[in-house]
Amino acid sequence: MAASKLDEKLVLGIESTAHTFGVGIASSSGKILANVNYVYRPREGGIHPREAAQHHSRIAAKALREALEQAGVKPIDLDGIAFSIGPGMGPCLRVGATVARAIALRLGKPLIGVNHSVAHIEIGRLITGCKDPVVLYVAGGNTMITSYIDGRYRILGETLDIAAGNCLDVFGIKAGIGPMPAPEEYARRGERFHSLPYRVKGMDVSFSGLLTAALKLLGEVRLEDLCLSITETVYSMLTETLERALAYAEKEEILLVGGLARSRRLMEMIEEMAKLHDAKVYAVPPEYAGDNGAMIAWTGVLQLIAGQTLRIEDSRVRPRFRLDEAEARWRMLGL
Amino acid sequence: MEDARPIEGGMMIGEKLEVIRIGAEAIISRLEWNGFKMVSKHRVPKPYRFPELDRWIRDRRTLHEARVITSLRRLGIPCPAILLMDRSEATLYLQLIEGVELKKVLDSLPAEEVERLANELGRMVGRMHRGGVAHGDLTTSNIMLDRMGNLYLIDFGLSAITDDLEELAVDIHLLDRSLESVHHRLRAAFMRSFLKGYATAAGMDFLQALIEKVKEIRSRGRYVEERRKRH
Ligand SMILES: Nc1ncnc2c1ncn2[C@@H]1O[C@H](COP(=O)(O)OP(=O)(O)O)[C@@H](O)[C@H]1O
Ligand SMILES: [Mg+2]
Repeated sequence: MAASKLDEKLVLGIESTAHTFGVGIASSSGKILANVNYVYRPREGGIHPREAAQHHSRIAAKALREALEQAGVKPIDLDGIAFSIGPGMGPCLRVGATVARAIALRLGKPLIGVNHSVAHIEIGRLITGCKDPVVLYVAGGNTMITSYIDGRYRILGETLDIAAGNCLDVFGIKAGIGPMPAPEEYARRGERFHSLPYRVKGMDVSFSGLLTAALKLLGEVRLEDLCLSITETVYSMLTETLERALAYAEKEEILLVGGLARSRRLMEMIEEMAKLHDAKVYAVPPEYAGDNGAMIAWTGVLQLIAGQTLRIEDSRVRPRFRLDEAEARWRMLGL
Repeated sequence: MEDARPIEGGMMIGEKLEVIRIGAEAIISRLEWNGFKMVSKHRVPKPYRFPELDRWIRDRRTLHEARVITSLRRLGIPCPAILLMDRSEATLYLQLIEGVELKKVLDSLPAEEVERLANELGRMVGRMHRGGVAHGDLTTSNIMLDRMGNLYLIDFGLSAITDDLEELAVDIHLLDRSLESVHHRLRAAFMRSFLKGYATAAGMDFLQALIEKVKEIRSRGRYVEERRKRH
């Protein structure tokens, strides 16, 4: 990003697809100047969209103030206001969108609607320095393999039922040891491998049969062995489909995005696979792996440069906005 | 040049001429034996997999591919004949197809030719499905095209012998997505002709039921995230 000080652009980005309300500020020279995130933690059970949205509106002004302070930037210095337009929960998305519209209007600056999944990938490319990877996206309740092809991130493979992370979390909870990383820690003391349903279709995976079978074996075999079997099977399936996608997309880099990217064993497997194809592996560091404002700000910078901005009239949130519906014009500019 | 390969029972087969393709799963080499051209498909051990799992996967897929190809050829569906199986090496010896992967040429073919091929592929897949086989990895890199314009299906390691509509529908989903991802400009026209050909072989009612199933499959994976977030 060879931008001189003069034409350096600054974008503020707001993340609010689910439990995180985040504000980040990024510059066109690739610097993250601020990354302030507040996570709503429900008292019990899963996520309550309305309560999360209430949390986001309570915290919004504070997060904005802190981000501007952290960056040492005045609102007037900003060149664009980005927000996550989807996919996500409607009530949460609307908080971020409303805040972004208000700031953009007040400052008279362009509004930028960012696809949340694209942002996870773009912050990964920025932080790790990889250029054109096949991406294993195991963020949130999602499992997919994607890569940039001809103007967009195209989906090469995905789960046919439940997400890999969910599969291991549910198993861990039902086994009484808690969600990841507990099953992987137990797996380290595993010795015997029990075969479980291994269901791969092309570059797609399916985990529900595997989970059911593993749960049936609870109490019948050593827990450590069962943990070994389920983690090895899940990771092998992911690595195998990633290997197929790498060949199909004809790429030389792999980027791991999302919570499961923190798994040491999965990373080790993928690195061994990559060696067979002279490919390089990158993983998004924990700081930027979860939902955060910086990823929206940085993707906002890219969109601003590529002219992908929005009129207020067209800025309705898109709770079902798929990754492959989002244009990535900056990639055509070589960014 | 490598030595001739020993086969179960000590038989020797062919001279390895060259590795023609390092696929995601297998190494494909061209061989010549008594003037016959053929290929070997060796499923290489994957160091990243747990050894037991690795052995099991390679053995099962090799055996399965040989079985499925044999029954597909009985149904008259074009795929490379199996000449020999060396199970201990997870290696198949197959008829050489003198052609290219459809993936490499599809985008540069004239529109009428794309439609003709799509229709022909639809007929092949329709017949395969009615014969009780789901391919399991139906992408344009597992379809070959020879110089005469004939199509062949290859790579049956992930296939299933089944008449479960779901398994069959996954094939259509995979093909459609492989077009959507790497040949997106051709996707609509290709799928239209493909489904026409499919209906010719499998019948309109069967196709209709299949398409419903494909829609259902698509609405599962892709929206996992929003489903989770909504609840
Ligand atoms: N019988 C054959 N004749 C000629 N080429 C072949 C043959 N079988 C496979 N190939 C080539 O090798 C590639 C990989 O083979 P494939 O069976 O698809 O294994 P993989 O599981 O590794 O993808 C194919 O895409 C094709 O280019
Ligand atoms: Mg193949």
